[in-house]
Amino acid sequence: MNTPAARPQRSHGSGPRPPSLGGNLWTLLALLVLLGLSAGSALLELGVFNTVANLGIAVAKALLVLTIFMRLKTDNALLRIVASAGFAWLAVMIALALADVLTRAPLLAPW
Amino acid sequence: MSTVERPAPPRSYLEEGFGLRSWLTTHDHKRIAILYGIGITAFFFLGGLAAALVRLELVTPAGDLVSAETYNKAFTFHGVVMVWFFLIPSIPATLGNFLLPLMIGARDVAFPRLNLFSWYLYIVGGLFTLACLLLGGIDTGWTFYTPFSTMFSNSHVMLAVVGVFIVGFSSIFTGLNFIVTVHTLRAPGMTWMRLPLFVWAMYAVALVMILATPVLAMTLSLIALERLFGVGIFDPALGGDPVLFQHFFWFYSHPAVYIMILPAMGVVSELITHGARRRIFGYQFMVWAIIGIAVVGFLVWGHHMFVAGQSMYASIVFSILSFIIAVPSAIKVFNWTATLYKGDISFDAPMLYALGFVGLFMLGGLTGLFLAATALDVNLTDTYFVVAHFHYIMVGGAVMAYLGGVHYWWPKITGRLYSEAWARFAAILMFFGFNLTFFPQYILGWEGMPRRYHEYLPQYQVWNVLSSAGATILGVSYLLPLLYLGWSLRRGARAGANPWDATGLEWQTPSPPPLHNFAQTPTVTEGPYAYRQ
Amino acid sequence: MNARLHPVPEQFDDPVQQREAATLGMWAFLATEILFFGVLFAGYTLCRVRFPDAFAAGSRHTDMLLGTIETAVLLTSSCAVALSVREVQLGGRQLATALLGITAALGASFLVMHGFEYYAEYREGLIPAVHWTQQGVYAKGMEIFYCLYYFITLFHSLHVSIGVVLLIVMAWRTWHRAYDARYHTPLELTALYWHLVDIVWIFVYPLIYLVGRAG
Repeated sequence: MNTPAARPQRSHGSGPRPPSLGGNLWTLLALLVLLGLSAGSALLELGVFNTVANLGIAVAKALLVLTIFMRLKTDNALLRIVASAGFAWLAVMIALALADVLTRAPLLAPW
Repeated sequence: MSTVERPAPPRSYLEEGFGLRSWLTTHDHKRIAILYGIGITAFFFLGGLAAALVRLELVTPAGDLVSAETYNKAFTFHGVVMVWFFLIPSIPATLGNFLLPLMIGARDVAFPRLNLFSWYLYIVGGLFTLACLLLGGIDTGWTFYTPFSTMFSNSHVMLAVVGVFIVGFSSIFTGLNFIVTVHTLRAPGMTWMRLPLFVWAMYAVALVMILATPVLAMTLSLIALERLFGVGIFDPALGGDPVLFQHFFWFYSHPAVYIMILPAMGVVSELITHGARRRIFGYQFMVWAIIGIAVVGFLVWGHHMFVAGQSMYASIVFSILSFIIAVPSAIKVFNWTATLYKGDISFDAPMLYALGFVGLFMLGGLTGLFLAATALDVNLTDTYFVVAHFHYIMVGGAVMAYLGGVHYWWPKITGRLYSEAWARFAAILMFFGFNLTFFPQYILGWEGMPRRYHEYLPQYQVWNVLSSAGATILGVSYLLPLLYLGWSLRRGARAGANPWDATGLEWQTPSPPPLHNFAQTPTVTEGPYAYRQ
Repeated sequence: MNARLHPVPEQFDDPVQQREAATLGMWAFLATEILFFGVLFAGYTLCRVRFPDAFAAGSRHTDMLLGTIETAVLLTSSCAVALSVREVQLGGRQLATALLGITAALGASFLVMHGFEYYAEYREGLIPAVHWTQQGVYAKGMEIFYCLYYFITLFHSLHVSIGVVLLIVMAWRTWHRAYDARYHTPLELTALYWHLVDIVWIFVYPLIYLVGRAG
């Protein structure tokens, strides 16, 4: 029969060591504070900075979830690359499509 | 086993079960590859029939054989079937599925059940597309451009859209499987820089599959929304932007071209090293060229939209990026050529296909540069020049490489040898038939004949007749392998483990391989293509 | 079913390799999910660039309070499922099951709250093609906003629903000792999926609920 590879058998792998309870709870607290900040800032008249602030906060929240809850901070580096690839490709799509829309003759609305 | 007697040769994967059930419930990557092979062959000939109808109509300038509407449906069906049901799964899902685990010394892919599931998705998607055909077809062209596809077309757009949506998931799952398999299941000693270039190509194509296909799926869903409910973001009458659709569509569909051609490049690297019995010239350059093509391939989609109302500045950027992608493609052609230099070249059938690929790919690639130049493209957009260009890449490139690969690995897959004389004859016939079909189309396009018209001016007739004559020869040359390869299944001589005296792990196991590929997981000690210099 | 008896499928050498493959596969799938949702966000961006005022007007019709509560609910549920995986890794079972149950319940409550939102919007005539009664200069642009709103949130709710089912299954299996400190890959993968659903919502929240709130 098929014998496994010549490399030694490794026991059950359970991935990176779990982050501490406190780490998780502090992260949740930070997320909720950021949520409050984002809701509060939306009510202030900041012009274009409303959008900037909101998206900035969203990125911060997403990074917290990715690094702490999803353990990208401690897990395999490859996983960080895979996760970044998804976001990077999305950024390319939005950036290049936006480059077109922002520089072309505006399409007039039909109404 | 207590005695020291010689163990019987292991049962091959083909002998693991004979009933239909054993095939339809298999988790073996080799059997799934064959299931895919049957599927894509059927769709290839269906799509070929549609192409035959198109070429037949174009023999005369008048639209006298079929109505304009039927003509539109014929080329749309040809495009949809050939792109999504033949070319995209062709090399990855058949040869890739079969060979990837063998080449890296693995027992199977990482997720065998997902692999089988992806085949079922392919079949279900195919059934939707067939239902679309049987109920009357679709006339939008394979690109589903809005607002025609959402507001004006009276054909069965939804069925085709659903079919393509489903088959997209099949390629996502194949890609996912390949990525994980290459990362985690390589045999001991099989480092990244020892991977055969075919495996690198499969890895790169898997990246493209999983990063591009979701975009297609959602874009098609947005079309469905717009068509079913009359609201959406593409129809200009609703305040939408039809160019936005083209951005999304080509964000998938341009990389999809690389889904078709990257695996072909992988196959050809294997065939040429074997045919010249030399190490590949510039292995690392080849690897980086593959990755470069996969990544830069995502940045060039706007060259499909130079006349679609895209901003001039964006067009310039896309044009420059399109020129850049010619660099890694050229590196590959140079390296294949350099591999041949001082090689011990044998002109057997796989090598003929490979050499045919290099020539045709070069012609297709160089005319691609014409089309990447914005000024020239304005004249050539939507002419037969474009049709000829992409058929040189997809048929001259991808199909030639696919058939070359099928011939090369046929003894491994089936355990039988085919008739070499017939195979060479078919390969040469295909090369001539192909050029006779598509070279006249370059001339037609240059002279200004638009694509997708079912009537044309009488001055174009000579080239069109030549093209249709070539298509007949091409059709015969596609039927021939079906006959002699089929014949070899019953009557062909038995192949040994390594009939070509080739390198690579796949040749170090019996033909056909046993269920789990290797009696013992191999340990790799040297790079690929270790032929005698 | 017992975690200790969990067999390693034959294509893998050992459990470590199996876990590596499973997590890599899941992350690759999550990358595709990012692009699935990403197309919709790209469409949103390009349409908003063309109709900034209509998008602001549309956003003002959404329920910001409910949206904020929903965000908080999903963030909390994300933490709960992370803690549950941690608990299983440390050898716990009852608390882990309870945390999974809480996560599923929070997910379900998210769906219910969103249902209320949809109902309110229906009464207000804010559903394009189904019940649309908006008038005024921004009505047409708002229709595009609401189109995207429904497409994105319904697609997201579909993910939440799948997640809730998966979480219930995981809770059931955790309770029946299918996972322990050494083997709990399916639980880990479900948690990853749930976090991604959360991340998507983190971006939905400012883009749908918070546009043009000031002034």
